Amino acid sequence: MTPTDEHAPASGTPVRRKEDARLLTGRGRFVSDLALPRMRHVAFVRSPVAHGRITGVDTAGALEVEGVSAVFTGEHPAIAPVALRAQSGLPGYVETDQPPLARGKVRFAGEAVAAVVADDRYLAEDGAEAVVVDYEPLTPTVCAWAEPEHPVHEEAPDNVLLSRTFRAGDVDAALDGAAVVVDRELTTNRHGGNPIECRAGVARYEAADRKLTFWSGTQVPWIVRTQLAELLDLPEGNIRVIAPDVGGGFGVKAVLYPEDVALCLMAMAMPGTPLKWVEDRVEHLLAATHARDHRYVLRAGFAADGELLAVKADVWCNTGAYSVYPWTAGIEPLMAGGLLTGPYKLTDYECTVRGVATNTSPSGPYRGVARPSTVFAMEALMDSGARALGLDPIALRRRNLILPADIPYKMPSRLVDDSGAYEACLDKAVATFDLDRWRAEQSRRRTEGGRPIGIGVGVYNELTGLGRAASAGPRMAFRTGHDACTVRINPDGAVTVFSGVTSQGQGLETTMAQVVADALGVDYGDVEVRYGDTDESLWGFGAFSSRQAVISGGAAHLAGEHVRGRALALAAALKEAPVEDLDLRGGEVYMAGQEKPIISLAEVARVAYLQSDRLPEGFEPGLEGTKFYDPIRGAFAAGAQIAALEFDPATGEIGILDWVCVEDAGRIVHPVIVDGQIAGSIAQGIGGAMYEHLVYDEDGNLSTGTLLDYLMPTAGEIPELRIGHVSTPGKNPTGVRGVGEGGTLAPNAVVAGALADALGVEVDDLPVTPARVWELVNP
Amino acid sequence: MKITLTVNGERHRVDVEPRRTLSDALREDLGLTGTHVGCEHGVCGACTVIVDGLPARACLMLAVQADGGSVDTVEGLADDDGTLHPLQEAFSRCHGLQCGACTPGMLMTAAHLLDTEPDPDRATIRAEMSGNICRCTGYLGIVDAVADAAAHRRARPEEAS
Repeated sequence: MTPTDEHAPASGTPVRRKEDARLLTGRGRFVSDLALPRMRHVAFVRSPVAHGRITGVDTAGALEVEGVSAVFTGEHPAIAPVALRAQSGLPGYVETDQPPLARGKVRFAGEAVAAVVADDRYLAEDGAEAVVVDYEPLTPTVCAWAEPEHPVHEEAPDNVLLSRTFRAGDVDAALDGAAVVVDRELTTNRHGGNPIECRAGVARYEAADRKLTFWSGTQVPWIVRTQLAELLDLPEGNIRVIAPDVGGGFGVKAVLYPEDVALCLMAMAMPGTPLKWVEDRVEHLLAATHARDHRYVLRAGFAADGELLAVKADVWCNTGAYSVYPWTAGIEPLMAGGLLTGPYKLTDYECTVRGVATNTSPSGPYRGVARPSTVFAMEALMDSGARALGLDPIALRRRNLILPADIPYKMPSRLVDDSGAYEACLDKAVATFDLDRWRAEQSRRRTEGGRPIGIGVGVYNELTGLGRAASAGPRMAFRTGHDACTVRINPDGAVTVFSGVTSQGQGLETTMAQVVADALGVDYGDVEVRYGDTDESLWGFGAFSSRQAVISGGAAHLAGEHVRGRALALAAALKEAPVEDLDLRGGEVYMAGQEKPIISLAEVARVAYLQSDRLPEGFEPGLEGTKFYDPIRGAFAAGAQIAALEFDPATGEIGILDWVCVEDAGRIVHPVIVDGQIAGSIAQGIGGAMYEHLVYDEDGNLSTGTLLDYLMPTAGEIPELRIGHVSTPGKNPTGVRGVGEGGTLAPNAVVAGALADALGVEVDDLPVTPARVWELVNP
Repeated sequence: MKITLTVNGERHRVDVEPRRTLSDALREDLGLTGTHVGCEHGVCGACTVIVDGLPARACLMLAVQADGGSVDTVEGLADDDGTLHPLQEAFSRCHGLQCGACTPGMLMTAAHLLDTEPDPDRATIRAEMSGNICRCTGYLGIVDAVADAAAHRRARPEEAS
């Protein structure tokens, strides 16, 4: 091959993001930015009580407010017939209704009770203030492991919406045979995604053709379309869901919310009038989904050499007031039970998980889903085991890791691990961190004085890109295995990709363009990607489970290859050359052994669309192809984090001195985007471990209802993270492994482990704040 | 109330209710939706704009308070011919943005920082940027970008605006 033949692949290089030009110049297209003719604005009236019967709603005063055009309540004929009902075929799962606006009773403080439509948001809020709602309070339940006085839902008198026991081997016998048995009882703190752009929607209904357009800051536009069609009784083709630029998601926007459904129902009741709702931060903290309010009662048995013999666990997950739609109350408990054992080999396992309703905001998907808690739980057992056995905690972990030779490894929950890169990640993390240097500094401070240093470790597996087999667990009405991608070569030879991805900052517009450019053989700059619009692309389940690079990326690759084949076939016919000798690179078709291209893709495309007289017999016009991809199982991504923290026993102050993360992202498409995903998820993990805590008082009032109380880490708190990689390509068309969530999984374990290592105190409840440190040191 | 705002050098007459925030006046009345609103209580910093030379939370200021004043927003950073500001270039190069929701506020805060402190070290950058929350990046790319833009400016002072 001569140098001129070389066409550098886009994948593996940090090409400039396609999103950046508009996002950096204030020209992003967010739902919050949308303005349409005749558009009116919506404000919701929210319940101030956590649990109570609604005895009256008086909307007359609101309708008197200038600019107010309508007020809707749960009993309004447009709203009353509809309920969101998250469905699952799991035995014992209790299905419950979630009304778009509360009906009969309210189940959490912040639940939407009524909605006011007005000329602008100020007037809508004026109207909302004038709605008078009478409540007859009921005793709320806030804690998921307390007996309810008044159940949240009549259908579940004990508030348990779901319970499942994962069982493998004989855990009691294994515990009997253990050299040491350790017990831990842990709770993890309720927190949430808090993307910088809160939830937002614009709904417009045209009665003449019964068409609904819903602009929504959603991570899952196709799921939203399917669910809306069912709830609104519209043909699915009459609904268009558009997720344009979305200002962060992190799982919080992977939910179809009652407010979304209410907005669409109200728009249908007001045909021709687009309705806009943009949530404010106080609403977001109150009523967008929360996560990780869990309790773990754990027992583990180890052999004298450190082999993990048994884990027995009882887990409670606070699902809040409603079974999150459409994912169900199973989202956290099933993930907790399925992934608790993480990267460790284990045959004897018993874990009972429960999803328990309470009078708090519903729990939903949040980056990492349950695993930041389960990794904390598992690593706490490892640290306790190491202390009981007098073994080095890292050596104990190594003793039990799933190794390359064990792959494919069937976990005790029967998920199949295809990674085995845990030891490689741990080794590289320990080396990068320079463990010996930090251990030396730790002892130096112990003898010479200075704030005590602790070293914390977290090793984890992230189940990414779930295919149809791996997503079977929750037994929902839909199985989230596949995405589609259409690659179209335009008549001028440039490429438009209609991808099933949605993006909330992950740079998928860029990543999909890279994958298609390479699969097809064109330059990155010649590929445009359309996404997030159900009328443009065929299908995508959306952004969750770190799935899109794996699954949509796979579909993009397959579609690109397919269209490349068609383009080369046409080129071969036009140039009367054997197709097997042709190659498409940089938008030019080359023949083996020839330095210069024989025809450009632009000319091939022109023939395909505009010069049918030149088309070979039987060759269909156009150059386009659509492919689906489903990885069937998924791609486990391995990771390890290790950090040194210092603690001031006098004040409890915590300082992060160094933080290293090594992950196996498989083959990397865009190295800077991948590192950005890892750094961002570690930062959210550190937020959850040390700062972020949604606290309810016993009456069910959220006492952390503003960003003055709910603390998200800033550039002042997040340290200079050091990120490294090992690469074992996944078995999918692009060889990638998902990286969206792994970083969140370890910080709980790392911070708690570092505290124990520094001061010899076991922390059982998160977050680890200075006050918590001080309490533990001064019991 | 009728007020006059000079936004990115252009004079605008707007009629606003006294309670209208500056961020809403920019976004809704002037159609400058580049200024984002993240919390509406002055914590997240997404709505940061420069009012009469100083950074301000546009969600905590009433539009009438800016009457007669000048306001610089993210839309004014790039040159009229589309040439990006060195900070915008650096944010793209260093992956200082993901979803773009905090980005306008980050850019305006950073622009003011570099105008007042041409050679900030990383600790200074972290401290000065700590009034702006980013939920995506973990701040690495942002700190890199501000440091990179500062270095670029020092190397080519004639391009500094």
